[in-house]
Amino acid sequence: MSAIFPKWTNRLPLMIITGLLLVGSALVAGVWYYMSPSYARVGYKPIQPVAFAHSTHVDQLGIDCRYCHDDVERSWYSNIPASSTCMNCHTQVLKDDPRLALVRESAQSGKPIPWVQIHRVPDYVYFNHSVHINRGISCVECHGQINKMDEVFQAKPLSMTFCLDCHRNPAARIRPPDKITDLNWRWSADPIEAARLQKLHGEKLVKDWKVESLQTCSACHR
Amino acid sequence: MKTIPPSSPEPEFGRKYWRSLDQLAETPEFRQWVEREFPAGASEWADPVSRRHFVKIMSASFLLAGLGLGATGCRRPEQRILPFSKTPEDYVHGVSEFYATAMPTRGGAVPLVVRSHEGRPIKIEGNGLHPDGNGSTDRYTQASILNLYDPDRAMAFKEKGNVRNPEAAFDFLAGLSKSVLAAKGQGLAFLSESGNSPSRHRLRQALIEKLPLARWYEDEPVDMSAAQRAATLATGQSVKPHFLYDQADVILSLDCDFIGSEEDVHNNIRRFTQRRRLKNPADGLNRLYVVESLMTLTGIGADHRLRVPSSTVAQAAAGIAIAAELLHEQSQELLRVAGNSGIDIKWLAGCARDLVQNRGKSLVVAGHRQPLAVHLLAFTLNEALGNLGKTVLLHETAELKAGSLADLTRALNAGQVENLVVLGGNPVYTAPADLDFAQALGKARQVVRLGYFEDETSDHCTWHLPAAHYLESWGDALTSDGSLVPIQPLIAPLFGGLTDLELMARIGGLEVSNPHDIVRQTFGKVVGGGDFEEAWKRFLHDGFLGNSAAKPVVVRMQPNALAAALSQLKVEKPGKDHLEVVFHRDYSLDDGRYNNNGWLQEMPDPITKMTWDNAVLISRRTAVELGVKNSDVVRLTLGDRQIEGPIWVQPGMADYSLGLALGYGRPKTGRVGREAGFNVYPLRTSASTSFAVGASLAPVKGKTYKLACTQDHWSLEGRPIVREANLSQYREHPDFAQRMQLHEPEGGGSLYPNPLDQLAKTGLHQWGMSIDLNLCVGCSSCMIACQSENNVPIVGKGQVARGREMHWLRIDRYYAGNPKLRKKTDAYLDESKQQFEEWVDDPQAVTQPMLCQHCEAAPCESVCPVNATVHDQEGLNLMVYNRCVGTRYCSNNCPYKVRRFNFFDYNKRPLNALYMGPLAKRPEDEFDLIKLIKNPDVTVRMRGVMEKCTFCVQRIEQAKIAQKVKAGASADVIVPDKTFTTACAQACPAGAIVFGDVSDANSQVSQLKKLDRDYAVLDFLYTRPRLTYLAKVRNPNAEMPDYHEAPLTFEYYKEQMGDPFKAGGAHGEKAAHGQADRKGVH
Repeated sequence: MSAIFPKWTNRLPLMIITGLLLVGSALVAGVWYYMSPSYARVGYKPIQPVAFAHSTHVDQLGIDCRYCHDDVERSWYSNIPASSTCMNCHTQVLKDDPRLALVRESAQSGKPIPWVQIHRVPDYVYFNHSVHINRGISCVECHGQINKMDEVFQAKPLSMTFCLDCHRNPAARIRPPDKITDLNWRWSADPIEAARLQKLHGEKLVKDWKVESLQTCSACHR
Repeated sequence: MKTIPPSSPEPEFGRKYWRSLDQLAETPEFRQWVEREFPAGASEWADPVSRRHFVKIMSASFLLAGLGLGATGCRRPEQRILPFSKTPEDYVHGVSEFYATAMPTRGGAVPLVVRSHEGRPIKIEGNGLHPDGNGSTDRYTQASILNLYDPDRAMAFKEKGNVRNPEAAFDFLAGLSKSVLAAKGQGLAFLSESGNSPSRHRLRQALIEKLPLARWYEDEPVDMSAAQRAATLATGQSVKPHFLYDQADVILSLDCDFIGSEEDVHNNIRRFTQRRRLKNPADGLNRLYVVESLMTLTGIGADHRLRVPSSTVAQAAAGIAIAAELLHEQSQELLRVAGNSGIDIKWLAGCARDLVQNRGKSLVVAGHRQPLAVHLLAFTLNEALGNLGKTVLLHETAELKAGSLADLTRALNAGQVENLVVLGGNPVYTAPADLDFAQALGKARQVVRLGYFEDETSDHCTWHLPAAHYLESWGDALTSDGSLVPIQPLIAPLFGGLTDLELMARIGGLEVSNPHDIVRQTFGKVVGGGDFEEAWKRFLHDGFLGNSAAKPVVVRMQPNALAAALSQLKVEKPGKDHLEVVFHRDYSLDDGRYNNNGWLQEMPDPITKMTWDNAVLISRRTAVELGVKNSDVVRLTLGDRQIEGPIWVQPGMADYSLGLALGYGRPKTGRVGREAGFNVYPLRTSASTSFAVGASLAPVKGKTYKLACTQDHWSLEGRPIVREANLSQYREHPDFAQRMQLHEPEGGGSLYPNPLDQLAKTGLHQWGMSIDLNLCVGCSSCMIACQSENNVPIVGKGQVARGREMHWLRIDRYYAGNPKLRKKTDAYLDESKQQFEEWVDDPQAVTQPMLCQHCEAAPCESVCPVNATVHDQEGLNLMVYNRCVGTRYCSNNCPYKVRRFNFFDYNKRPLNALYMGPLAKRPEDEFDLIKLIKNPDVTVRMRGVMEKCTFCVQRIEQAKIAQKVKAGASADVIVPDKTFTTACAQACPAGAIVFGDVSDANSQVSQLKKLDRDYAVLDFLYTRPRLTYLAKVRNPNAEMPDYHEAPLTFEYYKEQMGDPFKAGGAHGEKAAHGQADRKGVH
């Protein structure tokens, strides 16, 4: 009888269990990765053709977002400024700086600067900047604290759950219209107090402005 | 082994559109990409290592790619953003711009507002500001934008078939100009299409001065000028009639398809249907009498229709004139013409009496196919009825003399033409066969041709110059009311095309040859003094010159014009052995100019519902007598000329009359038009360009031809899908539409609560639509508008024949015959059988736009296994493409059959190789251009997903967003009524389609839904559609011999379901009840 099951079969259950464990953990790892912000490219920080520092321009100099991204209130798209916009100041300031060579060249020749796109949603998502900006959602909610960034990177996952998290509870994010581009602004410096005030005011604003925060498919997919 | 692909620099002529944004940027990466087929390193084999080494390296890298999920293979590609270096003023990226322009037509223009998205024109709409319009368009206008991106359009300057650069062409033109100027135009001839551009008129005058000996010829294969010529003859003044269909209570059309195939149909439809609007039973309706041979859109809209061959329409007209007892002076001639026609005298007398009773409020119109005498008769009748100045206005026109194509052929054959300049048109294809124009063209020393396509004519030309699309050119025109409208470009010519203005100016050696400057100069002459710049800006902004409409003139009749014309009129009556052939402008392809337009090719003909083909249209009786049936190929002989084509039995055709649509079977056309239909031009002679008697027809033994028809069932079978009544019935029972509702299943109401009830409470709006079937004339503008707005692909004839057409909106056309003529066995026969049934001879017809009904309790939603079709809180039935796995259960469960499935990747694959799947790629030049026309706001669907009407959800969302942006920190988020509408509603000339918020009681759509005539299709299924229809009301004259007390669909309903007006109506009768339950769902 012993010939039927050779000796190594004693190890079979162990082998099966080990195998299953390996497959299982690979699966978990895969799903884990898929769900993680890293899959959604959080932290993506490509090298840009011009080393533009938002921190210098926004935090130190106090330029409003909309000085450069001036279409954000009118279009679905928040425009990257034209080279001529940069030259508004840089004909005076740092006008011979080698770091700005490309900008000067572009402004003169008419050839665009090939910026690398960072924030991107799929083509079947029809995200609209203007409606968020005009209805109390700050830039910071999706782009993070750009004002602190030397080099821009993707701070939030921009995945569908990310959108829905806010659309299910806009009261947690909404703020007064004059504070939209003030990326440092909180209801209070104290985090607990800020959260309480956000809830209090947020709910009122959502009600007063009839904020829809749609969760139906047609809101984003057409 | 080292092979570096040759570089392919951007050609100087030919394709000039962007391949991608990078190309525009001319980045070094892109240059490299363009010059090399593969990126750096990929195509070199610099190191002579062994193949084995290569495989080793490659397998290692594949392994790495497989392992490293973070490696580039699994990553999204890096994308660049290329902003302007200097942003144009007022330009907001991502926001569409709208420009006013106009599409020139044969004798006028359609004023337009065109949407441009990031530099690409993508959607055409009518100009609602224009004083004589409602912002609607016709189907040709809607589809004309596809021609702009046609990969088969002429892209290069060619001399004898060889590509030349534009400079060489301009040098040639300069040389030509010098030589003809020296000869004062001796031996120079121009051949143009008709048109009424003031700039062209001005340039022609300038040319007459500079080139006094040059000659000008004009040719239109479908000549629409007969009414104008008749008015000019009858009054002795150069005038053009302008018909006010909205001012007439009674309209008589003599073979005049003013709703379908005459000039300016969108305005005619608007005016005609203005008098078909019913708010309550007390409102009146106009009445339309039609005498015609073909079944036309006007014919199916008629209250009384007399079918006679086109050649005997003159007899009917004379009969009506005699019965009206108005034209005593011409009674002799009229009696001779009327002769013994065999036409029902009672019909003619009844119609005449109605006209006379409505003096000053009636209108007689004659169609472009009819001879001048009939037009004169119509004009004289209008005068005698006191309609001039009331329903017919006369506008002065300034016309310069032009010869005909026959004159040109004679001149060519006589050797009088040395240099011929052909401005547009395609005379080699469209010229009457007896002229042999192609051969005559060879007699000229040089033929210079400005053409949009390289077609039949370009083969016979010395030089072919590509013409610019009207969306690429500067020009001007007059609309039918005489208003001046600009044609301004939305995009620079994609392939460097020219306009006729520029070509004329260059040949005439005029100082100003830039079309923009030419148009500006003309405008300056029109407005005279004042602030020119301001006026010019206003003109371009508004899209018309205010108060420039023509003033009607008062005329005096020339006494003998009619009698002279009548005495020359010969009436031939067709018979079995000498059939009449009628050459008609096709509802899709016009005279062949839209032959390569896929949208129009695939648009089902509004009457026959045939796609991609024409056929020999024949009446049932004639078909039976000649022993032919649908799809049989027959040979038609007229004189010594023959053509072959398939038979199609058309209900309502006059006996012994054959309908032949122009524009098909082009010997040389693009990829789309190839193999579509058969050419009927070879039968046309210059003596009879519209119709001819004396043809014989013989079947070609054993030969059949498959036709792709989208509606193979003709009858409603008594079901109340379309509900209609006569005006008298409506006045008695305003609620007739509700009474015709089928019996609902027992048990009272649906088992389930309406799933939308709860959800709808959170919606800001509730979208709904109302379609007035009393206004819908079936013109199909909405279909093309929908296709253009929603990126609906074309699928080709083979797929249409399998029932896989993709139109989100279709127009159903049903015939109804006299129930007495129907046999009991007739029910549920398709056309292959119905073509032999007697009831189809004199049918009434109805049209019904059918699209997603956006049912509140949608049957499609409950069967979708993946939740790909769901409702939103505003009542839209959404289709989520990313979720769809293509089970097609929803389509199976949709009672309205409005869902469409992408069986293939229609966008990515060439239509003739769909079945090869990914193995067949669309040629790059085709794909690149076609991509440009897509609406960026609508997803382009791929293979394997279901799609359907979305109520233009992209427009809804955009309107809501715009309102919310406006609201800002306030609660003013409700979109006001009439802020926007769907593409179909916007294009509808009749205003039959109204879209809006049904939760707002004051909105237009809510008001319409409150009317008595409102009903839902298949309402007994408890689908609760958001789209409801308004029932049709006919206005027949009780004195007419073909008067029916109720519309024929109503009679048939009554026969099947019981009389809805009896106590209890259809619901009370057991028999009807059974019928309803049985027939409910099919």
